[in-house]
Amino acid sequence: MKQQATEPMELAERKSDMLSAEEYVRITRRSENTARVLKVLLWVTLLAGAVMFMMPLYIMVAMSLKTNGEVAASDPWMWPKELTWENFTLVLSNPNAPFILFFRNTLVISTIATVGVLLSSSLVAYAFARLKFRGRDRLFILLLSTMMLPGMVMTIPSYVMFAKIHWVDTFLPLTVPAFFGGGAFNIFLLRQFFMGIPRELDEAAILDGASHSTIFWRVIMPNSMAALTTVGVFCFIFNWKNFEGPLIYLNSPEMQTLEPGLRTYQTLHNEQWNLLMAGSVLVMIPLILMFMLGQRYFVKGITMSGLK
Amino acid sequence: MYRCINRLGAALLGLLFVATALADPITLRFTVWDGDESLKVLRQVIEQFEKENPDIKVKLETIPDYATYHQKMLTQFAAGVAPDVAMMDPGHFQALAKRKALLPLNQFYDKTPGFKIEDYYKAIVDAHSFQGTCYVLPRDIAPMGLIYYNKPAFDEAHIPYPDGTWTWDFKERPELKDKDFLWVCHQLTKKGANGKVERWAFASGWPQLVATTLAYSNGARFADNDEHPTKVLTTDPKFIEAYQLASDLMNTLKYMPNSTDTGSLSQTTQQLFAGQKIAMYQNGIWEVPNMRKTLKPGSKEFFEWDITLFPGNAKHGKAAPTGGSGYAVFSSTPHPMEAWKLASYMAGPVGMTAMARAGIAQPAIKSLALTPGVWLPGPDSPKEQLYPYNRKATDEAVDTVVFGPNADYWPTVEDRMNSGLDLLWSGQSTAKKALTQGQERAQERLETMLKDEQLPAFNWPIGIFAGLLIVAGILAWVYLPESKTRYTKREKLENRAAYKFAAPWLIGMALFTLGPMVFSLLMSFSDWDIIQPAKWRGVGNYKEAGVVDPVFWKSMIVTTIYTVFSVPLGLFFSLLLALLLNQKIKGIPLFRSMYYVPSLASVVAAALIWRRVLNPENGLINALIYGGDKESWLGTILSNWAGTPNDPVNWLGNEKTALPGLIIMSIWGAGGAMVILLAGLQGIPQYYYEAATLDGAGIIDRFKRITVPLLTPSLFFTLITGMIGSFQVFSQALVMTNGGPNDSTRFFVFNLYGAAFQQLRMGYAAALAWILFFVILIVTLIQMRGSKYVYYEADVKR
Repeated sequence: MKQQATEPMELAERKSDMLSAEEYVRITRRSENTARVLKVLLWVTLLAGAVMFMMPLYIMVAMSLKTNGEVAASDPWMWPKELTWENFTLVLSNPNAPFILFFRNTLVISTIATVGVLLSSSLVAYAFARLKFRGRDRLFILLLSTMMLPGMVMTIPSYVMFAKIHWVDTFLPLTVPAFFGGGAFNIFLLRQFFMGIPRELDEAAILDGASHSTIFWRVIMPNSMAALTTVGVFCFIFNWKNFEGPLIYLNSPEMQTLEPGLRTYQTLHNEQWNLLMAGSVLVMIPLILMFMLGQRYFVKGITMSGLK
Repeated sequence: MYRCINRLGAALLGLLFVATALADPITLRFTVWDGDESLKVLRQVIEQFEKENPDIKVKLETIPDYATYHQKMLTQFAAGVAPDVAMMDPGHFQALAKRKALLPLNQFYDKTPGFKIEDYYKAIVDAHSFQGTCYVLPRDIAPMGLIYYNKPAFDEAHIPYPDGTWTWDFKERPELKDKDFLWVCHQLTKKGANGKVERWAFASGWPQLVATTLAYSNGARFADNDEHPTKVLTTDPKFIEAYQLASDLMNTLKYMPNSTDTGSLSQTTQQLFAGQKIAMYQNGIWEVPNMRKTLKPGSKEFFEWDITLFPGNAKHGKAAPTGGSGYAVFSSTPHPMEAWKLASYMAGPVGMTAMARAGIAQPAIKSLALTPGVWLPGPDSPKEQLYPYNRKATDEAVDTVVFGPNADYWPTVEDRMNSGLDLLWSGQSTAKKALTQGQERAQERLETMLKDEQLPAFNWPIGIFAGLLIVAGILAWVYLPESKTRYTKREKLENRAAYKFAAPWLIGMALFTLGPMVFSLLMSFSDWDIIQPAKWRGVGNYKEAGVVDPVFWKSMIVTTIYTVFSVPLGLFFSLLLALLLNQKIKGIPLFRSMYYVPSLASVVAAALIWRRVLNPENGLINALIYGGDKESWLGTILSNWAGTPNDPVNWLGNEKTALPGLIIMSIWGAGGAMVILLAGLQGIPQYYYEAATLDGAGIIDRFKRITVPLLTPSLFFTLITGMIGSFQVFSQALVMTNGGPNDSTRFFVFNLYGAAFQQLRMGYAAALAWILFFVILIVTLIQMRGSKYVYYEADVKR
């Protein structure tokens, strides 16, 4: 109320010392110019930072295009004199480590796990974020606590359990748990975002007689695209690059995934860096593409459609 | 009649079953840590084996990561799904053999026609024996007393090629000329005009390799007994003078590159050799397959090279450490005889001829190792398989091998012994100081490990009961405080709905998480080696952690310091990045992806880059701190603090700066948190800003009143998860510093990993894990108490 009163006054003040048209143009131009200079400065800073952050990719690509001899004889920072594309063809067609098969397995596991995580963690997060229930706050601490125990001491009991139900050497231990909560990290992340959605939205829906599942699907999910994309991208990347899990749970050569599969170029006492890097670049490309696609959705925030 | 036919049918069916069972081949699982080309050779040999034994099918499995390989073998054995035949080596078999997880092999010798264990090099059979019984049939032996040398470098210095008859002494002996190792090193070291070394004479696969070789050939040994060491002997003057010579070669004589030099080149020793930055280097025969590819005849990198024997000490003669591996049969196999058949075939003449022909391994069978065309170059060998010519040296080298301690508890002792050696290799400490300190630590650890505790068996009924009690306790803690609250009808409905939504997690927790967690808690009160049944140890593990374990407190402090610095620093940088990348300027999508790249890149690439960035001589960080003329007030302060007043700071090689180096490195991972904060920024309704602007709020006001409070949920998330993660940090230290120098980057979980999978002390590891659990829990609860500042839109009552 108070502000509404002051606003017209300010306007009036401004009107009182109206600028001449020429001066107005000059001033707006000047501020536009400052904004432009600032933007250029920001752009240069970002670029400088980006160069630093892109160094690993540069090194990886440079090494993946060198011959074995060149990797040894030249500085790792030097760009190859001649591009050796054979590294890529070799990695893609090596019968000792079938890349396409590994790729397919990894894609299957990552996709299923990501779907599972997105579904189940958002459901659980909804309960923790928007509903009141018995023991909620302490259950939440229990949820967080599952992240606090170093996983190493749980490897053996988990493995024994999965072996007992004959899940070893199948994709099940790497996918099924994703459908049961999807991990404390993801639940916690989504809960934080869900809690940021104004109450008015679901209250309006409740007045219309909507159930919790309607609110969840119609109000919460559409307004959380940014958070859901973040969780989805993180989860996919985690599974794509998972090394320990597949290495422990999968035995058969035809079940292998990319990260452990590529270790074939980096065994004890025998490191073929050019092939290892070519493989790593191939593993990274889909992730970079996915990230670039996904980041469009990071910017889709709460639309507030239908809110006055 | 009808019944009769029925019976006949049943009998026939039964016969059919028996027949199919007989015809059904046995499947054997065979696990190795080989990769790429050795896999191809192994598959070929297996195919031949299957042809000769049609009743046996072999499933080859590979775990190319050496550390995880052994971890997985233990895990599989514990779960009752171990393979039938598995690759093993002297450093790992005893832990399994001692606990009867492997079959003694001597029972099979007589049953196999033509098999004679005497055909194998005795040294490698002994290394794979425990209490006089062989448990691993050796496939290869890899003596490390070999030197790879660059022939043109010798030509250029007018020195005849070494024939292995040379010796070394503590001082250069010019009168012996090319028969004196130090004289040769002196001649081969090439210095530039500015006194900087352009080509070193010599290098070693890893610094301790040359030091240990010198010590062995000086007549010194690590321990009083290899199979059952009780005394660490590294303070023997013969040992100390040898290690000092190794350090001098790197730091004062500069015949060898030290860790700083190799860090700035970020290349392996083999790559340095192939790039002609060193003229000779010591390593095992395993270098050959890759070397042939790197120095392909006809390529522009190619030069003539060969191998020779490492010189012996002038007084004591030759002696050098060695590696090797073989195939073991797990005691859990249902088909011991067939498993042995496979193992002895793979490690026998057929299997090893194939491996030797491919240049992959030097056969452990002496006669094969001496057959031209098998291991030695034959007349029909293709050109690239001719190198190295002098493969007879590998056989001669076997006569000089020393295996060193192979007790299952030795790696732990060795780890303590080596904790101060990084400082010796970089010249910051003397051998006497580093070894004396290391010996004290190692001996202390050895004695605690040898203390044989008489412990009762773990009482499982009581254990299960205690586990149920714990679960009941958790439930009581969750529900008791609210048990009196009365709910209205609407609240009851909401309660029911909430449990439906939370059901996936509750079920998952009960099915997959709670069991292993409670189990590990129970194990923390036990003495459990993964293989044998657990024993009850009471609070012994916790007492050991707090009172006995010398590394416990150190690792706790290191981890805490890391967390205290890296978490706020990471939060600051990721917030800054998120704010910058939330602007509407050209190319933002690309920028966002670029800043996320380090989180996607391979660990190897990251390690390469950071070793370079943190390098004292030409690293980026030091260039910024010290400037071009290497003098700045900040640099002087830093150098003085690090204890090296006249030199630029050696980040990863200095006890004081290694941890700060890793903290700086952690900023690189800011991309992950940035994405979360970016999503948080986007979640702030745009109309708030519009309304505020209309109300006349400036950019700073809007940031303080809208951005910050509405971002607190994401910031809070980043803080909590970042902290939980940094308390458990592990892989960085493993790749960059291996816990050193002098334990300065020995993170808590690093220690825990060692206890669990190297020392096979799961009980103790579980106790460590639960101590860390409660530390993290307390810190998290404190942070949550103080989280009143977190602003949740949904909590606002309007």
